[in-house]
Amino acid sequence: MAEKKKMSVADILAAARADKQSAPDAEKPAAKPEVASADSSPAEPSGVEAAPVSAGSSERPSVSDILAMARSGKGKPVEEPKKSAAPAAKQPTAKKAVAAKQPVVSGAKKNVQRDTASILEAARAGTKPGPVSKSEAPGFSKPTAKPAVKKAAKAPPPPVPPRPVRQKSEKAAKAGAAKTGASEDRRGFLAYTVGSFMAVGFTALSVTGGLFSMGLARFFFPNVLAEPPSSFKVGSKEGFPSGVVETKFVAQYGVWVVNADFEGVQQIYALKTVCTHLGCTPNWLEAEQKFKCPCHGSGFYKDGINFEGPAPRPLERYAIKIADDGQLEIDKSKSFQEELGQWNDPASYVTA
Amino acid sequence: MHSSGFFLNDVAGFLGGYYTFLALMNGIAAFILWRKKNAPGWALVWSVFAGVMMILASLALSASKSMVPALPMAVRSLVNSLSGPVLYTLGTTALFTGLFVFRKFFVQPMVAWSVLNFTLLLLGLSMADENFAAIVMKPDNVPIVGLVYLLAFFTWVATKQAVVNDERIKQGLPVVEKVNDEKVLVWPDLVYTELICMVGVSALLLVWALFLPAPLEEPASSVKTPNPSKAPWYFLGLQEMLVYFDPWYAGVVLPSLVVFGLMAMPYLDFNKKGNGYYSIEERKFSYLVYQFGFFELWITLIILGTFLRGPNWNFFGPFEYWTPYKVEVLNNVDLPQMFWVQWLNQPLPRAPQDAGVLSQIGFIFLREAPGLLIMGVYLVVLPPLMAVTIFRGFYAKMGFIRYMVMSNLMLLMLTLPLKMILRWTVNLKYIISIPEFSLNF
Repeated sequence: MAEKKKMSVADILAAARADKQSAPDAEKPAAKPEVASADSSPAEPSGVEAAPVSAGSSERPSVSDILAMARSGKGKPVEEPKKSAAPAAKQPTAKKAVAAKQPVVSGAKKNVQRDTASILEAARAGTKPGPVSKSEAPGFSKPTAKPAVKKAAKAPPPPVPPRPVRQKSEKAAKAGAAKTGASEDRRGFLAYTVGSFMAVGFTALSVTGGLFSMGLARFFFPNVLAEPPSSFKVGSKEGFPSGVVETKFVAQYGVWVVNADFEGVQQIYALKTVCTHLGCTPNWLEAEQKFKCPCHGSGFYKDGINFEGPAPRPLERYAIKIADDGQLEIDKSKSFQEELGQWNDPASYVTA
Repeated sequence: MHSSGFFLNDVAGFLGGYYTFLALMNGIAAFILWRKKNAPGWALVWSVFAGVMMILASLALSASKSMVPALPMAVRSLVNSLSGPVLYTLGTTALFTGLFVFRKFFVQPMVAWSVLNFTLLLLGLSMADENFAAIVMKPDNVPIVGLVYLLAFFTWVATKQAVVNDERIKQGLPVVEKVNDEKVLVWPDLVYTELICMVGVSALLLVWALFLPAPLEEPASSVKTPNPSKAPWYFLGLQEMLVYFDPWYAGVVLPSLVVFGLMAMPYLDFNKKGNGYYSIEERKFSYLVYQFGFFELWITLIILGTFLRGPNWNFFGPFEYWTPYKVEVLNNVDLPQMFWVQWLNQPLPRAPQDAGVLSQIGFIFLREAPGLLIMGVYLVVLPPLMAVTIFRGFYAKMGFIRYMVMSNLMLLMLTLPLKMILRWTVNLKYIISIPEFSLNF
């Protein structure tokens, strides 16, 4: 394809005209060097394409052949056999291919009427040279009519003759439509069934989805909660001597019960065992008298006030009160935060 | 400290194999240097070293307390007493700086080999310490040892190529990648390599899983946190950041910024050099910022979190016993506390009991005024200031928006080391501390 681009307009015209006048020999020497240089140029994209041509250099296709190929719009289809044959036996097949091609082309040439504009048009079209005019197409395309017709539609042809093929197809369609109500019914049936399948499917899907969502919603409100009750009793006040942090309720309830001095008042309070930094469970270190978190090293005093590490606020307190039977009762559903001033709330402690 | 006969019996076999491996490794290196590289001097050095390793291997296999090669107690105690988060961070920073400044020296293969042998020998000698071995040989922690050596190796390879390229650029020669630009095919070269690697890694993982099985621990309980409680190794840097920040900042904002910053890099980078080849000289700023963020703010924190953070997230020296009863004074205070109570000697501004919401918020703003002012200056005033001083050239090349994104990302990255330093030096907990709304910085 590249070699066509390289030819000058004059060459193309000369070649075409010479061909018409059936005197190709005169033009050959002029055109040949051009073609040869094009063949050997590195711009050639694939060696395979170039190979047959250079292999049969003695019987190289003439410019007119190349042009004819270009015009025929079947440059590729015609070259195709050449390509596939080339690896098998280069010299003879290449010759044969050229030889086989020539009669077709020359036969076509005779039928075809060409003008300068259409030749140039085809040559300039470059990579996709179709038949120059539509009238040409049937002449070329006797063996393979379909591609030629398609190409003809794409090329910019000066005279546009009526399109018998299309009319025919329209007619056929009309005829078909008029004739076969049965086929429409069949299609309709198909659409009906498929449509109903879709409808059934989507209905089923949405119903399932709805039921699932409802089930999920129900799941969040179980009939029975396997949780310890939020309110529980830990024994009488006397069980919590002054200055002691009771850790035996940590495993079951997650609280420390502390009897200690807070802001001058001796109180019993329940501290939540959740670090205010990221929620780990701190450990009570008796020797150091502090709660220490194993995750990031936050430390809290006995009263729950944070003093080291990254914890931004004190531990939280749970509600605590003296129940009717005199025992201490802790209610985990209510918590009190020091930074919000809630530790002043009498519900957050019991005076020891 | 707790070296017992049982421990030495356990570790002796491993150490014997370890030293034998070192001897073998150096023997092969010596052979290659002698026959292939024509460097008989170095070959002699490493074969002597290999011989010493063989002697150490036989000593280690004796499993007797007086024979197994180990660091002297005095050295271990010294290391323990010196080590702390401050020294660790400053030490690693100094180490990286030294490696960077003298990179031309350290990339030489023989120097790198010496460093590798030295660290491996040190590791072997330390392994005879029970406390050290208990941490390093924990199945969880073995990969981190591998990570240290792998990272060192890959960094060395890249730095070496960069140093060679920088030298060539200085001489006006094309870079190595341009000279050796031989291409290989994806199929079969790459795909076969990948296949072989896949098989190799699978085999390795299989063997690893057989010999170092993952530890099974007690059932999880919401009220019992293991002590120490550690994140997966790749998040230990994050866990270390959390020691210095509120969870929303160190756990959400900073990691998002890391991802965002990495994504923004190609858009912020205006330096067209260094594309497709290794070079440090041509992209010094990018190189240093990235390496600082990766090595200093991520890798060293992973190593710190793995080997040096023990129960209660206290810092332990490498040869120290991990006791949960270690007492460390880490008291810290928030900036408002420091400003109002310690410096101005007056109570914290606090809204009266019956104040409305707006008045309470006003008092909070008053209380946090110093911190807000500092952060405002840091994030709003500093970027323009840098644009007209140290980053003048950057600002001219990048334009307003790109410069602002870059400078803010950099400043936010630097909040981590700055906050660490503030915590160590003046025991500062938070610069802005609004526990009422869980906003702390």
